[in-house]
Amino acid sequence: MIDRRTIAKLRRSRSIRVAAVFFLLLPALAGAARGQSSDRAKRVGGKLLCVCGCNQILTACNHVGCTYSHGMLQEVDDRVARNEPDDLTIQAFVQEYGATVLAEPENTGFNRAAWIMPVVLPLLGLALVWIVVRRWRERSQLVPAAGVSPEMLARARRETDGRNDE
Amino acid sequence: MDVFGSFALMLALVAGVYAAAAGISGIISRKTLLLKSASNAGMAVFILVTLAVASLEYLFFTDNFSMMYVVEHSNRALPAAYKFASLWAGQEGSLLFWSWLLSIYAFFVLFLNRRKHPELMPYVGVVLACVQIFFLILNNFVASPFGVIGTVAAAGSGGAHLVAQPDGKGLNPLLQYPEMVIHPPILYLGYTGFTVPFAFAMAALLGRYPGEKWIHITRRWTMIAWTFQSAGILLGAHWAYAVLGWGGYWGWDPVENASLLPWITGTAFLHSVMMQEKRGMMKVWNIWLVFTTFMLCILGTLLTRSGVVASVHAFAQSSIGSWFTTFLCIVFAVCLFVYIRNRDYLRSDNQLDSLVSRESSFLFNNLVLLAACFAVFWGTLFPVFSEWFTNNRISVGPPFFNKVNIPIALFLLLLTGVGPLLAWRRTSMDSLWRNFAWPLAGGVVAGIAAFAGGARSPYAVICWILSVFVGLTITSEFYRGARVIAGRGNTNLVDGAVQLTLRNTRRYGGYIIHLGMVLVFVGISGQAFNQDVQSDMGVGSKIAIGPYTLVCQNFDQVANQNFQSDRATLEVFRNGKSEMMMYPERRFFLASQVTETMVAIRSSALRDLYVVYAGRSPDTGRPVIHAYINPLVKWIWFGGLIVVLGTLLAMVPNQQPVIALRAVPEISGAARAGTPVSVLAKGPNLHD
Repeated sequence: MIDRRTIAKLRRSRSIRVAAVFFLLLPALAGAARGQSSDRAKRVGGKLLCVCGCNQILTACNHVGCTYSHGMLQEVDDRVARNEPDDLTIQAFVQEYGATVLAEPENTGFNRAAWIMPVVLPLLGLALVWIVVRRWRERSQLVPAAGVSPEMLARARRETDGRNDE
Repeated sequence: MDVFGSFALMLALVAGVYAAAAGISGIISRKTLLLKSASNAGMAVFILVTLAVASLEYLFFTDNFSMMYVVEHSNRALPAAYKFASLWAGQEGSLLFWSWLLSIYAFFVLFLNRRKHPELMPYVGVVLACVQIFFLILNNFVASPFGVIGTVAAAGSGGAHLVAQPDGKGLNPLLQYPEMVIHPPILYLGYTGFTVPFAFAMAALLGRYPGEKWIHITRRWTMIAWTFQSAGILLGAHWAYAVLGWGGYWGWDPVENASLLPWITGTAFLHSVMMQEKRGMMKVWNIWLVFTTFMLCILGTLLTRSGVVASVHAFAQSSIGSWFTTFLCIVFAVCLFVYIRNRDYLRSDNQLDSLVSRESSFLFNNLVLLAACFAVFWGTLFPVFSEWFTNNRISVGPPFFNKVNIPIALFLLLLTGVGPLLAWRRTSMDSLWRNFAWPLAGGVVAGIAAFAGGARSPYAVICWILSVFVGLTITSEFYRGARVIAGRGNTNLVDGAVQLTLRNTRRYGGYIIHLGMVLVFVGISGQAFNQDVQSDMGVGSKIAIGPYTLVCQNFDQVANQNFQSDRATLEVFRNGKSEMMMYPERRFFLASQVTETMVAIRSSALRDLYVVYAGRSPDTGRPVIHAYINPLVKWIWFGGLIVVLGTLLAMVPNQQPVIALRAVPEISGAARAGTPVSVLAKGPNLHD
């Protein structure tokens, strides 16, 4: 049997332990964050990805404990404050972190395929659809509609025109 | 209980193998008893996998920390709902969960059709069993969730004891959010659900099933899977928005994209299937859409689990990817082989009559949807291709996907308005003008109003023009039909609209889905007007954003057994008047030793005020608050809800219209001349 005093003592010691753990962990809990960037810095940051693996735009990465985004954003701010051209800033990041830091593929060399294919393939598809449709139409013109007179067909079209079933 | 779970899984694999083998033998020998036995074995898989899932849940709820999977994904202080959700928190459990959902689908398919379609169902059973066998092999031999930490020899007895940890490492904090209890199951129901239409399509092709009945069944099951996939994607987006704290809901992450791919091809199928049902066209296209959708589900699983592409959502990198790659190759080879052998079965019954017709709009719709699918697929896998060809890995981030997909999406939105108003076979210019004049005028007015109101983002303005256009075309469709019914039945327009919808749930349910998509588009267009501000704050500090001023009232700490939290108390003023309090937090989860943000969101129809406790400034040591104004976000969630409700409505059987037919004494030439041809041809139900 535990008396009230012991329970109160246990509770006090538990509270102290929780408080101690809490204050010890406070730095981890707090993380690091930074102040506001300029619009231009945001624009440049928007062309870069955070390299922590989150696959997010640098300015959008706010992963707690991310060891990259804070420093990278600071560097963008500094370079923008020095009035360095945007291209130069971006190239400096590519030099430092590799091409994976760029948020989108450059329009050069093999990477040009990334931009070309989503345009070319639908166009090819469109051409294919066009050819198929033309062939269908040619075939349908060759085959007369059996058992339905042209007058009947015209009337059916008149009456069903605009009435759209699924 | 771990032995029981392992044993149940092994038996499930045996039952699955038996279901496939007996099914194939039954089909070849035409022995009914063998086919019945195969079907029963298929259903038994469900019971056995359910037992395995129940035993794993039991291990979670009894804090059995001798099990590796329980140690990795749970801890004693974890709330019960999250212990339940721990089942799908890791690679092994989520694969078991996948098998379980697949077995549920298989059970329902086999049970509900046990006395129907005797020529089709044996093939369906075999295809389902084969897919189940693959996942059960993974569950048993590659990624078993019933692995133990280790054993030690028991002194004297010659036996062994299980080694147990005092506590587990806890559930990933990102998953400790109510939506994460329902988002994965819903999304998985979508992924696994696409196996059923695949099984029916494959069965129809293998068995050369006569008629179009199989396509009706396939469509219904695709709608079920599509509904779950849609809801799962939206729940995932909402979770990302509410938990990740970056102010957005869609980051074009490879895993997000993986869930979008089968959804897009599923959407294309749900449109083009109408061509087959109504006109007997596009059969080859449809069968390949069903095959592709299933293969994209497997590809999505491969991307999530293999580490092929980098993603925050992915499970740990593992060798399991080679299993999925092999399975994907086998599925593709089988699809191609079966198609080539039976391609004459898929000959089209009709041809296209006009380019301005419903058929051609479906063709364009499918083309655009596949273009979107390809763009997402290409962007997602391009880093891998780039590495193969150039030996350099690059990134393809959100700017690429936005640039490529926004124009495609807007064109799709346009087709959403145009397509349903075109008639089958041919539409005259007169009818085109009659149907589109007012909606077009409404769209143009909306565009002018948006521009006059200060909107300068071209995509947003185009999106609003098209949204109003599509909204008005849909409304006018309801209005025209409801007016006719109201006139006939002496009822009001609302009642007429309800009757109209119930008479043809598929068509009007489809319109409601389109309306939901319009709302989603409007919500997404709000992104063009996002604002954000970040500042370090002390008690009494203020930051202003949009119409709001945030005043810091307090910073405090909250603690419980699961986490400790650093919390800000912010009073929000609007036009100088106090409106609400907001409490953004950063939580430190004790078991996993990980910190996460808990965003505070105040949502309204016009805008969300989204506040993140971003951390402490290293310079001043003061807490940093990041506030966002995200306009129209609520429209996305509301639109998503409308989409889901519309799909459910479209699955409800039609209510037969009550039409009083006047007596026709004799179908003479004269009487015939006065009777509408459409009635003669189709009977009284004009909408079916």
